[in-house]
Amino acid sequence: MNEGWTSVVFNNRDPVYLQVVRHFKEQIATGRLKAGQVIPSRRELGALLKINPNTAQKAYKEMEEQRLIITEGNSPSRITDEAEILRTIRSELIESAVEAFVVSVRRIDVPVDELLELVRTKYVEERSRTSQEEGGSSDD
Amino acid sequence: MNRYLKLVNMEIHRFRYILFSLMGITLLLQCGSLIWTLQRVVSAKEKGLTQAEVGFAIPKFLSFPWAIVNTKEWFILPILLSITVLVLYSIIIWYRDWFGRSTFIYRLLMLPSARWVLYVSKLTAILTFVFSMIAFQLVLLVGENMLFKTIVPAGMRTDSTFVEASTINPVLNTLLPKQFEQFIYSYGLGIIGVIVIFTAVLLERSYRRLGILYAIGYVVVCAAAILLPAILPALESSSSYWYPGEIYRIELAICLIVPVISCCLGFWLLRKKITV
Amino acid sequence: MIEVIDLHKRYRGRKVLNGVSFTAEKGQITCLIGINGAGKSTILKAIMGLTPVKSGLIRIDDAPVGPTMYEKVAFVPDHLTTPTGMKLSEGIQFMKDFYVNWNDARANELLKFFKLDRTERVGNLSKGTAAKYSLLLGLSQNTDYILMDEPFSGIDMFSREVIAEVFSTDLIEDRGVLLTTHEIDDMEHLIDQAVLLQNGSVQLAFDCEEMRTTEGKSVIDVMREVYTG
Repeated sequence: MNEGWTSVVFNNRDPVYLQVVRHFKEQIATGRLKAGQVIPSRRELGALLKINPNTAQKAYKEMEEQRLIITEGNSPSRITDEAEILRTIRSELIESAVEAFVVSVRRIDVPVDELLELVRTKYVEERSRTSQEEGGSSDD
Repeated sequence: MNRYLKLVNMEIHRFRYILFSLMGITLLLQCGSLIWTLQRVVSAKEKGLTQAEVGFAIPKFLSFPWAIVNTKEWFILPILLSITVLVLYSIIIWYRDWFGRSTFIYRLLMLPSARWVLYVSKLTAILTFVFSMIAFQLVLLVGENMLFKTIVPAGMRTDSTFVEASTINPVLNTLLPKQFEQFIYSYGLGIIGVIVIFTAVLLERSYRRLGILYAIGYVVVCAAAILLPAILPALESSSSYWYPGEIYRIELAICLIVPVISCCLGFWLLRKKITV
Repeated sequence: MIEVIDLHKRYRGRKVLNGVSFTAEKGQITCLIGINGAGKSTILKAIMGLTPVKSGLIRIDDAPVGPTMYEKVAFVPDHLTTPTGMKLSEGIQFMKDFYVNWNDARANELLKFFKLDRTERVGNLSKGTAAKYSLLLGLSQNTDYILMDEPFSGIDMFSREVIAEVFSTDLIEDRGVLLTTHEIDDMEHLIDQAVLLQNGSVQLAFDCEEMRTTEGKSVIDVMREVYTG
């Protein structure tokens, strides 16, 4: 389970705790983090990601507020089971990616259909390539 | 009290190799020179040679004090060496914590105990070294006397008292005075000297640029204060204004004031002015 | 918290500290940033009572500095302070003897974590290893605050990574950390508060995450503005 954590690179212009939250969302959207899965504690997370314990704390708080994670009493925190939220995450990420894409191609004069065709081709290409790379398993 | 003892122990531990070396050198040089001197005289006597023939003195009877005198400087050399080393170390004991690859003074100043304990522990260490060397010399003299009796056949020697042996040489006499009072005076003065040196070192370490001037100045002022009553009679133009008894009491007072002020100054410097 | 109020200090005719004021909270990592000679080390030494100041006030948890504070604040200097002839274990024993707050279990943990050989002599350590050892001596005290002077400078990259890891662990958590550096580099995401020093005074002090949230600037961005603007 630990590989997904150490590969996070932080940029220094966006608040680190929000970057951590985004990383969680990505892990959820890509299926690396499953619903109801237990996540590392605040301290463990700090050590894994090599961030300040306060930042880990802030990230947790934010995720709890967004109901991304649930902490019941003294048991370790878990990813939410609520399908609603999980769906929202997925669409959030897709939407922000789409927005970034649209912003970057907006200036170029190309008809929508051509654009969609390009996207479809590229997407299929990437999907088949990455599924080959990951071989058999995507669960850890 | 506990921390004080730990610090003293640490200071002694750091110096142990030098201390043992000094003892070793003293042992070797004194015994060695004694053996050499005695053996040549004894063999000369046994062969019936005269002074003119061998070029060194051949008394009728040998005594231990005579032997000490005739080893000339070899007997005294290690004592002078030890004194020099200990005087220098009363300065180095501070500076070694500042210089070198590691600055131990940081650790010492950050100990959770009052800083004057550092001063007192170093002072105690120096005094311990001095008195252990003296004790060593005493034991050594006893041992050397036995050595003397072993080398010189009974027919050639006369007995002597311990005091005769220890007073025969001026250096030895100062080191091991006959009278207790003299002991207090000599060593009291020595202790005052170490205290003044300590405070001078702390002055230098507290005021970087001018520090060395303050330090030297302080030593000069203290030395002058202590010498003043002693030379007062010589300075008087008219016939002595002060009674000897009064001069004695003034001297005593100064010898109490100087170390007390030095200690207080030293403690204050350590607390408020010292800088790494 | 550690409060530094209007410190002034002259050294060799120069005004090293010209009215320095800032606070370092417990539970936060505060970083003093400034070029070499800006007075960062001097500030830490002044807080630790290792050098006098001409004027100004230093308070630790609302109490002035004194010998009892050494059980509350640990200092990790930028160079060796243990006699070179001592073995690592002897250095630890020294600390254990004098400090009530010494945590021997943690010292042993850190020996393993930093991969240090307790029988080695302090004088034989490389710069990176010596830095780790100094850090060990500071962290093994159960103090509320820990001050570090240039913990990363002049140290090889790998030692630096290991040392940086310490900041993410519970060794630091709940403590107030005050460190100095002249290059913030890849350490930005580890600190909570940045205090920028220039010309002997504090030019700017800010919370890093806030700066990122409200102005989208990294610490380096702010540094560039302050130091070259």
